[in-house]
This record gives sequence, structure tokens and C-alpha cells, in this order.
Amino acid sequence: MKVGIKSYSYCLNHAPETGSHYGGTPYEAFHSGKEQEFLDALPKHLQSYDSARHYAPNQTYIGGISYEEFEALPSGWVNNPLPDEKANRYGKFGEIMPEDEFLGLISACDEFELVWLEKSFAEAVSAKLAQDPVITEAIVKRVVRPKNMHELAEIDTEVKDRDGLYLYHDGKPVGCVRSGHPTDQCLTAHVLLENLAGKASGVLALLHLLKNSGLDPKDLDFVIECSEEGAGDVGQRAGGNFAKAIAEVAGCVNASGCDVRGFCAGPVNAMINAAAQVASGARKNIAVVAGGSIPKLFMNARDHVKKGLIALEDCVGSFGVLLVPDDGTMPVMRLDVLGKHTVGAGGAPQAVTSALTFEPLQAAGLTFADVDRYAPELQNHEITEPAGAGNVPLANIKMIAALAVMKKAIEKSEMMNFIKKHGTIGYAPTQGHIPAGVPFIGPACELINEGKIKRSMIIGKGSLFLARLTNLADGASFLIEAPEKVEAPATVSKDDIKAMILEVLGEVAGKLA
Amino acid sequence: MGKLAGKKLLLLGERDGVPGPAMEACLKDSGAEIIFSATECFV
Repeated sequence: MKVGIKSYSYCLNHAPETGSHYGGTPYEAFHSGKEQEFLDALPKHLQSYDSARHYAPNQTYIGGISYEEFEALPSGWVNNPLPDEKANRYGKFGEIMPEDEFLGLISACDEFELVWLEKSFAEAVSAKLAQDPVITEAIVKRVVRPKNMHELAEIDTEVKDRDGLYLYHDGKPVGCVRSGHPTDQCLTAHVLLENLAGKASGVLALLHLLKNSGLDPKDLDFVIECSEEGAGDVGQRAGGNFAKAIAEVAGCVNASGCDVRGFCAGPVNAMINAAAQVASGARKNIAVVAGGSIPKLFMNARDHVKKGLIALEDCVGSFGVLLVPDDGTMPVMRLDVLGKHTVGAGGAPQAVTSALTFEPLQAAGLTFADVDRYAPELQNHEITEPAGAGNVPLANIKMIAALAVMKKAIEKSEMMNFIKKHGTIGYAPTQGHIPAGVPFIGPACELINEGKIKRSMIIGKGSLFLARLTNLADGASFLIEAPEKVEAPATVSKDDIKAMILEVLGEVAGKLA
Repeated sequence: MGKLAGKKLLLLGERDGVPGPAMEACLKDSGAEIIFSATECFV
């Protein structure tokens, strides 16, 4: 059973000022009151929007450069910015949106007068957003709704007297997120900022997905959202539903939606969920979408600051994938070859890797070398290595290669070659669920369409133990393959039938003679 | 019993490296006392 991958989108929202105030690590440092040195130093380690646009991993993510171009670049991307002609705001898959416009988009996604922007700032970003080819007129107008525009004095009062949080641009307050309830800890300004930023970045990904696919928003049937945020109130602290809220802003009036969660394994599980619904005919198409995470911004910045490096975790990431019935013309996602990390599999790296790669491949009669490219977690190692978290994609492909040797699929002497040929280099922002294999869906489909590869495996792993519910890890995987050409059904015209009858009659007449 | 016998161990695992439970399994028969084991995620 297969479904077609019609289109994909990948976007980044540059958010250094929001992140340096409300990213999990800086926010915690501020509230601990013990890390003033780090907080004072962090602004000096931020990169500008222009630098973020010239950063090769970011351009790879939005499709500004191809994965093959990225792979050919020398390491040390931060010290080797891309030339101007390859550093555009818009790429084949999406865009890198500047922070002021992102604040405007967050405001446009607010339905409850929770986001206030200073009037002149709102008007300026509304005009800028109007230039974005995917931002609708309705969204542009929402940024300048009177109820969302206020004087700075009112914004100050909201922050100082009613637990709001400032929004910053160029080092100055330009708005605030208001508290949603006087006592409910699920509706504090901080939680609401996280959720509204997740919604807004998800909207951007969905709008680019619709543009890339050419699908009329009215024809979208269903949305599955798979970020790591939890929206709800005290009675149901992660009740949802991001999917439907995102579809609403994107004008998908005939769509419904729901959320799928599973930490970093959420997106792969959402893809499987969506593919099963499309393959069964339950839905005619589904957009799998995820917005990004404010708390993950500058997660590793303590180490980056300590080592005098640029704090690169400044972009909120998002993605979208449109699944449709397989018609033999587009890359497909297979539903008969799924990796599943079971409860009983255990947490040993070998067991996890086996469950996600060897076992599904073996069941399908495939072997390790049949997969041209493995995409097992695509964190950018220029971010993770200085923080001591290593090169995550490389660690994963090494484990796959070692397992291939153990299963006698390759010789030990071939390991390094296997790693180079079948691995992927990480380029995704450390946004938790975003790097979890799914950034490579787009490049894999492009490479398949260009006839350069036949098959890729997307792998997502989730750290379930973070919620303190279980010590288990999780993981899931699926294969993307080249389409099988569907032969057009043979048609027979009236003339063909006449000719056949005459031929038979001729044969009969010949026998009678 | 090896050189860890009688020792107290703190095990800090990492999701994409070696997780805590895997280290616990390896060290089960070492004679050491595992007083803390956790797995963290830094990505």
C-alpha cells in the first residue's frame, strides 16, 4: 500500500530576540537569577537576519540550495557564508522570515486579543508581510486590527501590572503577549507565546505547502499537526487542536484536523497516520504540518557563549507535506515497510536501530544497501558538537552501518564507505521534532524525481522519558520510493472492433472456402 | 566481579549515544551499586 507525496514545504522564522528572552535556556537562566553573565553575553553572540540567510544549513532547509550542493560544501559553514546569489529569502521549499514579520504573523494568528503590537510597528510589518507571496490579504489585514494595536504605554501596563510579556525588535519593546487567565498556569503569557508562535510558524509552512502543490486551500481535506507544543487550559493542558487552528488561518475552509504527538517521533508517526488515512480512502488528501518551538531556541547557547561561538539556535522551524493517493507520477511513501520501536524492544542503541531499520527491511525482502539514503535525525552538528551532544546524524548512520555488518549485509571493511554513501549530513535547526528525519522528505523526493536515488528511509526518534511517564524511548521509520509507472489502461475504439470483426470473419470465410 | 565491585555508580545516558537503561543492563553483574541512572536529550 502506497501514497503519493505531492508536495512539501520547509520554513524558518528568524527569532533571535524572542529566543534570547523566552527560549527555554535563557528564560530559565533569567528566572534562576544566577546566570546574569550568560544573559549579558548572549546578545553579543546573536547573528543578524542577513547572516542567518547566508548560512548554508538554513538555505538547505528552505531549498535555497540543493542537498547535493550542501553536501559538497566544506565543513565550517558558519565561517563560509554562502554567496549573495544563494542567500535569498525564498527557496524552492519555503522561506526564512525576518523576526519583525514573524511577530506580525503571530499577531495575525491571535483570536483572543492576546497579542498587542505598537501601532506604527504593526502597520510597518503589515506592509512588509503584504510583499510575501504566500501571505494572504486577509492575514495582512489581521495584523492591523484595531483591537491588536495599542500605544506603548498600554503595553507597558499590560506587562507590568497584568503578567504580560514584552515582544522585542531592535532591542526595544514593540508589543506584548498578554496573560490569558489570572491563575491558570496553562494560559500564562509565556505558554501562549509558545503556542501562538507554533501556530504562526505552522501557518507559514501550510501556506507554502499550498503554493508548492498548487492545491486550492478549499480542496484540502484534512490537516495533521505534529509539533511538540501543548495547547489547552487547566482542565486539559494539551487538549489541542493546532491543526484546525492553522487550517483556519490558511483559508482551508473545507478541512478539518487533529494533532499527533510523540516528542521528536511525532512527525514520522503523523506521516504514517496520514498516509494510512489517504491510502484507505478515508481522506482524499492530508497535509502533515508542524510549527516550531520557541523553548528550543538557544537551548545549547550556554556552551556556545562559553566557547565564544555564534549562538546559531535562532530560527523557529516548520514543515509541511501533502499526501495524496498514489497515481504513479510522484514519489511514494510505503505503508507496508514501517519501522516500529516496540515496548519490549528495549532501549539499547542496537535494539532501537534494529527495530527501525533491519526489521522492516527484512520483512520487505530488502537489505541495508537497498536504501540509498538514510535520514535518521538531521540535527546540525555545528550546533550540537560544541555543546557536547556530538554529531547526531553521523552517530545514527554509524550505528546503522555497524548493524549492517553484524547482520552480514556488508563487510566490516565497507563500513566507512557505507556511511559516506548512505548517510545524510544534518542541516536542520535543533527544534526537537523538526530534525527528526522529516527535513529530508523534500530532498529525497527531489533526488528521486531526478533519477539520482530510488529509495530513502526517514527515521524519527523520540525521548519519551522527558515527560517522566516512562523510561522508554520511541522511534518510527518509513520508506520513500520512486513511483512505479502505472500503465495507461488499453482502450478499444469502434474502428478497432470493426477491424477485429472483419479479421475474424475473413478467417472464418477462408476456412469455409 | 570486576574493578567496579563495591563502587557506587551515577549513570548519565544520552538518547543518541548510550541510554541509561542500556548502561544499567551492562553493569548489572558488575557488583557495583547503581544509585542514579537517567537518560537525557540535548537535541
